[in-house]
Amino acid sequence: MEPILKVENLVKRYAKRNFVGMPQDFLALDGVSFTVSAGTTLAIVGESGSGKSTLASCIACLETPTAGNLWFEGRNLIQVAESDLRKIRPQIQLIFSDPASSLNPRWKILEILIEPLILQGRLSRKERNTHAFSLLERVGLSSDIVERPSSELSGGQRQRLAIARALTLDPKLLILDEALSALDCSVQAQIANLLLELQSSLAMTFLFITHDLTMAAHLADEIAVMSQGRIVEQGPSTKILRNPGQEATRQLLAAVPRLPHATFPATQQ
Amino acid sequence: MSRWRKVAPWLLVLAVLHGIVVCAGFFAPYDPIEQDRKNPYLPPMRLHFVDTHKHLHLRPFVYAFTLRPGSFDQYMEDTSHPLPLKFFVAGDRYRLLGLLPARLHLFGADNERIYLLGSDAFGRDQLSRLLFGGQVSLLAGLLGAGFTLLIGWCIGAAAGYYGGWRDDLLMRVAELFLALPWLYLLFAIRAFLPLAVNPLQAFFLIVAVIAAVGWARPARLVRGIVLSAKERDFVRAARGFGASDVYLLRRHILPETSSVLLTQTAILIPQYVLAEMTLSFLGLGVPEPVPSWGNLLSNLQQYSVLVSYWWMYLPALIMVPFFLGYLGLASALQESPGAYKIERRSLGSLA
Amino acid sequence: MIRYLLSRMAHALLLVIGVSLLAFLFTTLAPGNYFDEMRLNPQIAPETLSALRAHYQLDRPLPIRYVSWVNSVLHGQMGFSFAYNSPVAPLLLVRAKNTLLLTITATLLAWAIALPLGVWSAERLGRFPDHVISWSTAILLVIPDLALALGLLVLTVRTGWFPTGGMASVDFESLSSLNKIRDLAMHMTLPVAALVLSALPLLVRHVRASVADVLHAPFLLAAEGHGIPRRTLLYRYALPAAANPLLSLFGFSIGALLSGSLLIEVVMSWPGLGPFLLEAILARDIYVVIGGVLFSTIFLATGNLLADMLLYWVDPRIRAESASR
Repeated sequence: MEPILKVENLVKRYAKRNFVGMPQDFLALDGVSFTVSAGTTLAIVGESGSGKSTLASCIACLETPTAGNLWFEGRNLIQVAESDLRKIRPQIQLIFSDPASSLNPRWKILEILIEPLILQGRLSRKERNTHAFSLLERVGLSSDIVERPSSELSGGQRQRLAIARALTLDPKLLILDEALSALDCSVQAQIANLLLELQSSLAMTFLFITHDLTMAAHLADEIAVMSQGRIVEQGPSTKILRNPGQEATRQLLAAVPRLPHATFPATQQ
Repeated sequence: MSRWRKVAPWLLVLAVLHGIVVCAGFFAPYDPIEQDRKNPYLPPMRLHFVDTHKHLHLRPFVYAFTLRPGSFDQYMEDTSHPLPLKFFVAGDRYRLLGLLPARLHLFGADNERIYLLGSDAFGRDQLSRLLFGGQVSLLAGLLGAGFTLLIGWCIGAAAGYYGGWRDDLLMRVAELFLALPWLYLLFAIRAFLPLAVNPLQAFFLIVAVIAAVGWARPARLVRGIVLSAKERDFVRAARGFGASDVYLLRRHILPETSSVLLTQTAILIPQYVLAEMTLSFLGLGVPEPVPSWGNLLSNLQQYSVLVSYWWMYLPALIMVPFFLGYLGLASALQESPGAYKIERRSLGSLA
Repeated sequence: MIRYLLSRMAHALLLVIGVSLLAFLFTTLAPGNYFDEMRLNPQIAPETLSALRAHYQLDRPLPIRYVSWVNSVLHGQMGFSFAYNSPVAPLLLVRAKNTLLLTITATLLAWAIALPLGVWSAERLGRFPDHVISWSTAILLVIPDLALALGLLVLTVRTGWFPTGGMASVDFESLSSLNKIRDLAMHMTLPVAALVLSALPLLVRHVRASVADVLHAPFLLAAEGHGIPRRTLLYRYALPAAANPLLSLFGFSIGALLSGSLLIEVVMSWPGLGPFLLEAILARDIYVVIGGVLFSTIFLATGNLLADMLLYWVDPRIRAESASR
């Protein structure tokens, strides 16, 4: 089966000028390649600074890579014209790590939810509101909060809202950039289960970026390990966890605190 | 917002103060330009309620002045000549708000003129000149502050949003303007434009000059906000939904600047009124005979006036309640209480 | 460190050059010139006027005049004054000395009062002494400098305690050295008082705000927990941490040394840079004006540079930021 997303040798270089004015380039992505099959979850795991957020931005078409190819449903997004890209972007949605800054704190919840629809020019006003209410229900938020400003929500509620907003345009691929890292443990579990449930009912593909190997194991079918701007290992979760091939993977595994004699939590079937 | 609670009383105070000045024609007893050469440099007339026979009158009155015997410029109260104050009298014509002709004044007296704040060298009533002068000074300050903020807002938003060489260029120019000592710049620009112009031209000239001098600081503040707002995740998310630059600026980024703009307004208006006063005081502003708070004070530069006619100083204090109102408003508007913070210096940032 | 210094100096130099260009542009593009007054005088022939204009190069195109002016600056003359018939630089220097006498005294005094007062107020934040200080500074803030200066004058005139203007009494030269100093001090009192009173409220408020910010920081509480005495805490721990905005403020103070006293000098007839420039502006003695503006800007740029350097020396965060680039 043709993978829904194929990343090929993606390179992203940031040009900066240092203190005296001489250019000092920073290489965030150094030839990243991997594939994701439709309807599955790929977890990209790596320590801070390995380039994960840059990767997320590039795939979501919020930044342009310096080199490489990005195949989405068979089309190379690097070569697509801007006008077509406007239609493709809604199908790839990004959930940010900080729930406080990804939603405009002055806006009301209803406004936040219908903004994507307004921007894409879809549906009438009444239909937009109905759609918003059904989305709220989907993610487990009660609909009497719609008139409140988003600053009044808790962290977990905000992420649910962010997920609801991402779902407004029926995306095929959802990228979660450390989406659970800012939440409390119990809330993390709730949102994780929500995601699993959404995936099975909507047949979506998830790209789950995290530094938390345990969460990756729980949620993902496949794991790709990223280090210093490159993918060093990719494979089914069970295999990666049982037989890490690369040093980077071993270090990540070793960082997980474990009780003696406990076996590693069973991965998702 | 609970901020509204803190802000509202100051707005009320300012509204009342400005209202009195706007309706100067009503509150002032006389036309500010009208002269009375027989009564130059009259001291302020005191209000009395009890007369020489120890009778209490409900209606306040003043005594007319006569020359002290043997002197030609010292006055004393003539107790045989009381002038009761009448309220809501018909007096000199004026135009309310510049449009509606009217003749009603808050107070006045029959036949004789009352000088509650004294008179100047030409016998003009200082109180009337003070009230009408406020119209000129306050308007200059308000207009000037308005233009400066508009210019600063546009430039700051453009610099912050587009970044790159545009940002660098605009901020370097801003630094230049900030480096110039503003008072000197003000004088230099004003003086190097035609000096002898009619009052209306002079007024607009001053407004333009004041506005041109002060745009740099608001521009930098707005730029800072736009720069940080531009990188916020909700802006990136909106871009991901297909938002255009104009949409992002209009709906997400520029609303963030509203707080700083409001505070700057409250801070700049009194400064600009003061700038007009300073210019007029030194003869570079609104010329005679049109009164402005500045040129009411300009004859204090003569030693003789300073020594003998102390009431000519009183117009200097008129700014105090206005300053107080605007200062209170600025404090109430700010997120953090207390003095406004100086920008912290750090390397490389243009702030 | 050296690189930082050099880059800031280059920055300051560019600023000064930019300002000189701007000032030159403004003043020379404006209509009218010094000799317009003379045109009204029927006794002066038009030929004399045009000869004078040519002599002073007023008819040459703008860039040439700028270049020749820069040349003059580099030779230490800063152009030529029409009214005084002399190079501008010596005229400015004399006046600048008088101004600096005033402003340096006032600045030192103001900071000497504001620092302890602000720290004392910040320590007792929210309590009665702090409220007293807040209200007093608020009252001083709302009185505009013009009113303050004029008010002091009116008071003095009525009481006769201090001389009401000028820098020296009529019989200055005949006084003994001690009396000369006394005379100068008496003449300086009013303007210095006006300057200090107008600068004090903002200074006190900023010191108070900066120190108050720091006093409640966790690191200070921890230090207090170690049993460090109060005075050491305040001056060796808190004040350096609060230094960043305060040093910026100090830089502004230095920068305003030449330009901040203009109004007060005019009102109090102090023979400083202020009245001199005003007179030149009214007479359209352009090179004096440009020279004066340049002088002030140099001071301002130097003040900023000084603040930058002091900050680099005092604040380790700035040093780290510079090193990491």
